[in-house]
Amino acid sequence: MTRSVPPVRASIALTPVDFTDRTLANGLRVLLVEDHRVPSVAINVGYRVGGKDDPPGRSGFAHLFEHLMFKGTANSAPETMDRLTEDVGGYNNAFTAEDITNYYEVVPSNHLETLLWAEADRLAALRITQAHFETEREVVIGEYDQRILAEPYGMLDELVNREAYTLHPYKRGVIGDPDNLNAATLDDVVQFHATYYRPDNAVLVVVGDFDPAETQGWIERYFGAIPKAAGSVPRVTLVEPPQTAERAICYRAANVPLPAVDYAYHIPAANTPDGAALDLAETILGAGKSSRLYHSLVYGKQLATSAYARADLREHPGLFEFSVVLSRGSDVADARKALDAEILRLRGELVSAQELERAKTQIASSFVRGRQTYNGIALSLVRAAIERNDPGAVNTDLARYLAVSAEDVQRVATTYLHADNRTVVEYLPE
Amino acid sequence: MIDAVKPPAPSAPRSATLPTPSETTLDNGLRVIAFAQRSGPKALGVPLIAAQLIVRGGGSSEAEAEAGLCALTASLLTTGTQRATALEIAEQVDALGARLDANSGYDASVVSVSATTPVFREAFAIFRDLQRPAFAAAEVERVRTKSIGDLGLTYSNPSALARLVASRVAYGASPYGHPLAGTAETLAALTREKIAAFHGRWYRPDNAVLVIGGDIVPADAFALADAVFGDWLVPPNALPIAVPQAAPAAQPRLVVVDKPDAGRTAIVAGRVAIARNSSDYYAGTVATAVLSGYSGRLNQEIRVKRGLSYGAGAQLVTRRDPGMFLASTLVDHSKVAEAVGVVRATLEGLAQAPVDTAELAPRKETVTGAFYRGIETLDGIAGTLGELALYDVPLADLNEYVARIAAIGPADVQRFAAAYIAADPFLVLVGNAKIFGEAIRAAHPEATFIAADGLDLNVASLTAASLTAAP
Repeated sequence: MTRSVPPVRASIALTPVDFTDRTLANGLRVLLVEDHRVPSVAINVGYRVGGKDDPPGRSGFAHLFEHLMFKGTANSAPETMDRLTEDVGGYNNAFTAEDITNYYEVVPSNHLETLLWAEADRLAALRITQAHFETEREVVIGEYDQRILAEPYGMLDELVNREAYTLHPYKRGVIGDPDNLNAATLDDVVQFHATYYRPDNAVLVVVGDFDPAETQGWIERYFGAIPKAAGSVPRVTLVEPPQTAERAICYRAANVPLPAVDYAYHIPAANTPDGAALDLAETILGAGKSSRLYHSLVYGKQLATSAYARADLREHPGLFEFSVVLSRGSDVADARKALDAEILRLRGELVSAQELERAKTQIASSFVRGRQTYNGIALSLVRAAIERNDPGAVNTDLARYLAVSAEDVQRVATTYLHADNRTVVEYLPE
Repeated sequence: MIDAVKPPAPSAPRSATLPTPSETTLDNGLRVIAFAQRSGPKALGVPLIAAQLIVRGGGSSEAEAEAGLCALTASLLTTGTQRATALEIAEQVDALGARLDANSGYDASVVSVSATTPVFREAFAIFRDLQRPAFAAAEVERVRTKSIGDLGLTYSNPSALARLVASRVAYGASPYGHPLAGTAETLAALTREKIAAFHGRWYRPDNAVLVIGGDIVPADAFALADAVFGDWLVPPNALPIAVPQAAPAAQPRLVVVDKPDAGRTAIVAGRVAIARNSSDYYAGTVATAVLSGYSGRLNQEIRVKRGLSYGAGAQLVTRRDPGMFLASTLVDHSKVAEAVGVVRATLEGLAQAPVDTAELAPRKETVTGAFYRGIETLDGIAGTLGELALYDVPLADLNEYVARIAAIGPADVQRFAAAYIAADPFLVLVGNAKIFGEAIRAAHPEATFIAADGLDLNVASLTAASLTAAP
């Protein structure tokens, strides 16, 4: 078999991220990157828990916890994290996704010990009160009202996940279900914390200006003192059955400025070999103004105001999505026809050497930009460790992308982007 | 019982060696500043190069009747050159994974580019080509329409509107007084010829600074700059002299804009303070930090102690000529009089007594922390060096900044506050004056009231007609 992999300008000399990797006796995985460009440090604590791990009938628990983790501990008042970061020239935040809940801080490097203490403290001694539970539940439901109900197309992602998955908990999304949350009790919440917030279910990453021996000592002192949890962490074992026929729904809502169409195809998990070719397919089809969808649907035929492709690679099998928002006056059927034609083209003919090179150059560029900040490096490590169980991927991924051939792109398009494997959501004005 | 476990205290701040910039001047007068940041032991460099072109021509170089000219000119730079259309530029930049941007302030217009090392030369050539703009009629209209549309959003926001009014109160008809984004009237009157003339007058090599840095050694950066920008010709006409800021004619010091549809009232207190190259810059930066941020005095007094607002803060705007100190908050209409009193007392308090060291130390950390975060990226370093060059501050400040902040003590803060924060501040209120107007008029009979529909940012007097009566 011939492979057309031209030498590309994207083949840049990327210095590897030099990280140490060890696991404490209680199971906490610790990744450290020493770097002295600026006197600051980024701390990330990622937990292997996300929307897919929400208990049945308790959709939104992982997300609710992201909020409760800021409400104080046995040893600290609510919003202590803000005071320990913002008040010394740093910042902090957290996010919840399908497979991970990640907490992060960036502070001047002389505050590293303080923040390690604070992160260990909220893992070991979080104070969950009825009052905090109730107020944060309201905040999460308020977020649902704002992001899902009030924003244009807010329900789109929820609908896509709900329709594309029949069995796997990815069908429930991340943000949470207001009815589920309102039915929950403090006991449910305490139980969820005990189940997932344990050292052997977390990854600690520190990147920046520190002394490794001193830092390992602090980590041992504050995190190492947390006892090893008994038993094992429950894991989602449900496997989504293969889809055999197209599913389609039509959803009408009040706040829809222009009709939108979304296609979602099942694709394999992030740590399987096809991930790189799928990411390249995403870039060729739908990243920016040099992409095929922009040329065809937005600029050329002016059927759409935006047209994107996204390879949403997750810990378990994810989705390859197309999202098209129509232009005023254009027809849903016409836009779908043009989109179908682009998908057929990717399956039917090899991408050109220039297009492949352009996509690799773009991917290499975003890799490089992500490495500029300590928190960017920390985030890539924590995600690789949790979603792919392979932190070393941060150093091998670029080569994986550069090795993808035009034939590989055609093969993944043919394998996954076919109608029987597809869920269609038409999102229309009332 | 649980013993109260306290967080461990921070250790002494650690230092860092930042890049040392070097510079040269091309034959056409273009000043070129270069810095290298490459991978070394325990310092991960990235294969990326960033460049910025800083042109000494900003909103203060345009006439009051042409407000928005500079901003429109900068916005149009990426929308077409003599060789490439807007879409072609966007496509080329996108295909390289590069970033290209243009924006402007009162003192300068800045164009920036970054790309990975293997493709930087191609991106840099596009960046050079932007100085041969087409200013195509269709693009002028598109950008003009969008700019006018954006004004509606600005005017509907009480905080944004209060800042525009504050600039008029502080500077009157002098060049920092008119709105940088223009008004519907001035934008409508701008022509392609005026835009091209503005570009021709100010965008010239002997009036610009080029910063290049990252994964490139200075010698290569200088050679590249010469190869690509060496053919940028100096126009035959003499370089215009920037208009200095004149002291404004007597402006009202307390302006109330009655905006009945505002959700809350914006309060802005401030005054003209210092230039960027003032020796007081570091004291001013620390004094502002004492007032600003969640744990800063304004937020503590207004939000934490009294619950008058979700937040309050301060900003020191520094420019070529003295910029403004501004304190701002957003409060319920019924709390305006009380909040104004608290803002004023808080500003005065900083001048009346020295800050104690326990309060000062963390506020200084917020300043150095923000500085280091700002220079974590190549764009950040290039931007910092470009600003130093624009304001004729020695480039060594990059490596001296943290020590200068560390040297500021309570007496410096108090002195700065007495001279530039507490002394005779102006006050701008934008909100529903039906609710708070009477209380303000009783406490401040000198207050000038303007109805939002009668507000005219085109003129220093802020109103075309005579001032309206108090509600």
